[in-house]
Amino acid sequence: MTSKVFSSQANIIECEEITVIRDNKEILCAASCCVPRNSLTFLVGENGTGKTTLVQTMLGILPQREGKISVHSLNREKVNIGYVPQSIEFPKQLQLTVAEYLRYVSNLDTEDIQNSLGIVDFPLSHLPKTINQLSGGQRQKLLLAAELSRKPDILFLDEPLSNVDDTGEKHILDVILEIKNKGVTIILITHDWQMVSTYADHVICLNKNFLCEQGTSCICKNSLSKVNIKQIQKITPDPLNTHDGYCYIENV
Amino acid sequence: MQRALIGAVLLAVILGFFGVFMVPRKLSFMADGIAHASLFGIAVGLLVGGMPLLWAIGLAAILGCFLAKISDNESIPMDAVIGICLVGGMSGALITMTFIPGYKPELFSYLFGSILGIGWDDIYILGVLTAITLVMFKMQWRTLVITTIHNDLSKVLGLKANTAKYFLFIGTSIALIGGVKLLGVILISALLVIPYSSASLIGKSLKSCVILTQIIAITGTIAGIFISYIFDFPTGPAIGLFLVTIYILAATYAKIRAQPIWWKSQHTPLD
Repeated sequence: MTSKVFSSQANIIECEEITVIRDNKEILCAASCCVPRNSLTFLVGENGTGKTTLVQTMLGILPQREGKISVHSLNREKVNIGYVPQSIEFPKQLQLTVAEYLRYVSNLDTEDIQNSLGIVDFPLSHLPKTINQLSGGQRQKLLLAAELSRKPDILFLDEPLSNVDDTGEKHILDVILEIKNKGVTIILITHDWQMVSTYADHVICLNKNFLCEQGTSCICKNSLSKVNIKQIQKITPDPLNTHDGYCYIENV
Repeated sequence: MQRALIGAVLLAVILGFFGVFMVPRKLSFMADGIAHASLFGIAVGLLVGGMPLLWAIGLAAILGCFLAKISDNESIPMDAVIGICLVGGMSGALITMTFIPGYKPELFSYLFGSILGIGWDDIYILGVLTAITLVMFKMQWRTLVITTIHNDLSKVLGLKANTAKYFLFIGTSIALIGGVKLLGVILISALLVIPYSSASLIGKSLKSCVILTQIIAITGTIAGIFISYIFDFPTGPAIGLFLVTIYILAATYAKIRAQPIWWKSQHTPLD
């Protein structure tokens, strides 16, 4: 695979031919992709294709065996990164309250805590509750509130709507779009193709056991063909024009 | 008696703080593993004629470092490795003891504790250890809390998770051996595990749990020493049994608090 050249002005993250091995198993093999600045980028693919691995490698949580990941700042200041994992198994015996969690993660005072919870529509009456008393959806909102309060330049969201009800889902989506409009780059893992086709500025599709360009079995192409592909193609051209603009990670 | 009380309180404070992080991480068994494995160090110390406790502290620090190193590897089951350390250390100790001729009374004092044997030198060492531990906790507290919740989050936040992890593992190991003279190898885990386990049943926030942990640990050791003095019981078991009683009371209270009790159920919202 040839190496790709990216523009650091246009792209905030660039991954060049990264190979990631986890538990002696190759999860990503010479994968290259970029995340455009100030975009809402969706990371899609079937289960086990390495979406979370790719995000964790971009975050520096997992090391890559080969390749290079660059995060570009426009003003040479350190890029502030936020991450909301798919789910956190909070230790049951750690009686951490909602307020304490926000204080530890974000260093917030009481007023800021209330503001950040208000943004994600989290009930303030839950402030004295321990995290283990919250439902899955409430925890998801709490994690998002904590990350938003740190004012990130890039926000990684790993299936942020998986445990949230319909009303909460719409509200969180509105919040995501709002912070995107304020200049935050968002990378979101999802299986919701309707959402991808409606909101995506850029899509990175991970496949397994075949190359996207070989055609019809590409989950991304098949799923998006039913909805609004053209708009995504128009907004997000593929740097090498190899996969019609939305599919250029091959995981063989 | 005075030295015993000071020593016991210092140790309760240190191990109480370590318990706040070791218990939620499901590493309570490490206390038993390290304490038992350290017997090998004590046996070697007795054999070569040095200070047995220093040998034990050295061995415990090495084991703590090793366990910290492998703790991030999800394919290695921590409890099994701790169990292996325990068996290896105990077996090594018993075989080493066969090379020492005659009766070995010191071994029994390390096994079951001998609080009245604590001298002022031991108190000074414990005092320094407590001061260093408290300063380290002050510096590492936020990182320890966040790594206990979610290790990945600490990396995203740019915290030095490894420093906190090695402090926790090595510090716990050394503190446990520091307490061997008080409670003995067999019962020292009581001070690490029971105070926080009881506090987490009663406390409603991390802050309240930490305060309760310290209250329970200090009260438990002082009460245990007085009980052993009054009734002429061995000190270690007296402290251990008092702490177990506190845990049972805390568990009963938590159970009652969680259930709708009779006077609540008799009042409907319409009342």
